[in-house]
Amino acid sequence: MAKGESPLKQFEIQPIVDINFLGFDISFTNSALWMTITTAFILIFFTVPFLKVKKTNSVSDLYPTRMQVAAELGFNFINSLLADTVGKEGKKYFPLVFTLFMFILFGNLFGMIPYSFTFTSHIIVTLALAMGVFIFVTVLGFVKHGVKFFSFFVIPGLPVYMLPLLIPIEIISYLSRPISLSVRLFANMLAGHTLLKVFAGFVSALGFFGILPLVFIIALTGLEILIAFLQAYVFAILTCLYINDALHLH
Amino acid sequence: MPQLEQVEFFISQLFWLGVFFVILFTVLTYITLPKIRAFLNQRDDFVKSHISKQDELIKKAESIIENYEAKLTEAKNQASQIINDAKDKALKESEDLIKATEEKIQHEIKQTEERVAKEKDTAISELNDQLKDSATNFLSKVTNIEKGNINL
Repeated sequence: MAKGESPLKQFEIQPIVDINFLGFDISFTNSALWMTITTAFILIFFTVPFLKVKKTNSVSDLYPTRMQVAAELGFNFINSLLADTVGKEGKKYFPLVFTLFMFILFGNLFGMIPYSFTFTSHIIVTLALAMGVFIFVTVLGFVKHGVKFFSFFVIPGLPVYMLPLLIPIEIISYLSRPISLSVRLFANMLAGHTLLKVFAGFVSALGFFGILPLVFIIALTGLEILIAFLQAYVFAILTCLYINDALHLH
Repeated sequence: MPQLEQVEFFISQLFWLGVFFVILFTVLTYITLPKIRAFLNQRDDFVKSHISKQDELIKKAESIIENYEAKLTEAKNQASQIINDAKDKALKESEDLIKATEEKIQHEIKQTEERVAKEKDTAISELNDQLKDSATNFLSKVTNIEKGNINL
């Protein structure tokens, strides 16, 4: 890091190809570049090992390769996550949760590569994802239950005089879902990367004693990789829980 | 903070997020995930079919064992029967033999006794005759009476 450079500079968007479409600036930026890399990686990682699979009955063909085992691991992880939170009806929403989890996970992980860009550290991106989930879940609830969906805000078994107090609270907590969902992911990424950059600044500033913050950065990088996974997991499991709420109301 | 300051790139970010998310979602939904699921199902089916086959084989093995044990008991029973029969037969035979031998011995003893008695009789009668002879001779010599006239 050059001296005097802000630790927030890493989050700056830099256009690579300027594109203007109907008066809208849809330039291909570094953010879009890393979205491309993430998408391509996920597609290659999960598709290529299974391209040569044929219908067979011999054991040697059914024995998975290393890449297949790795892809299966991700598949089964989301599969059991959905089965545990939503149950059997959750199978329909598997592609959505899988896409969300993998997109966020690899977005976060690729953001850990030095000089790369973390698109999940931008509130507009996480908010768009969270709003997408929120709108999808709300529409799903209305499609499944119609007007009865509003009974979601009424906690069963509560005395009637408590309802005027609790229904607004329930509605506010429901409406704040996309905000908490997006801010959680965005803030974690922002804080982690900023902290790494700040301590990286200390390394060059302290000269020989810079080895101490360097050791700290190494440990912190490990923690950040954990957080990258954890935040994708939290986003996916909350999406599952919201789907479950929309399907079963209470 | 660039996240909130670079408002001019919001539409660009949203646009590319939408593009890539839709591409990713579509390809995963229609190509990748069905492929993975088919592969996993194929393996599950294979394992399940082998498990059912294994159950069948276990049942078969169990019936074979049952059969074998039934046959083994039968054979054992037969063997003990044969042994008992043989024992009985041998016992009877030996008893018969002993009986026959005893009878033979008894018979021989009887015969011998008879013969001994007969011989004794003959010996006694011979001795009597000889004694009579010698007594006659003695008497004829002593008395000078013709032998033929002496009647003892």
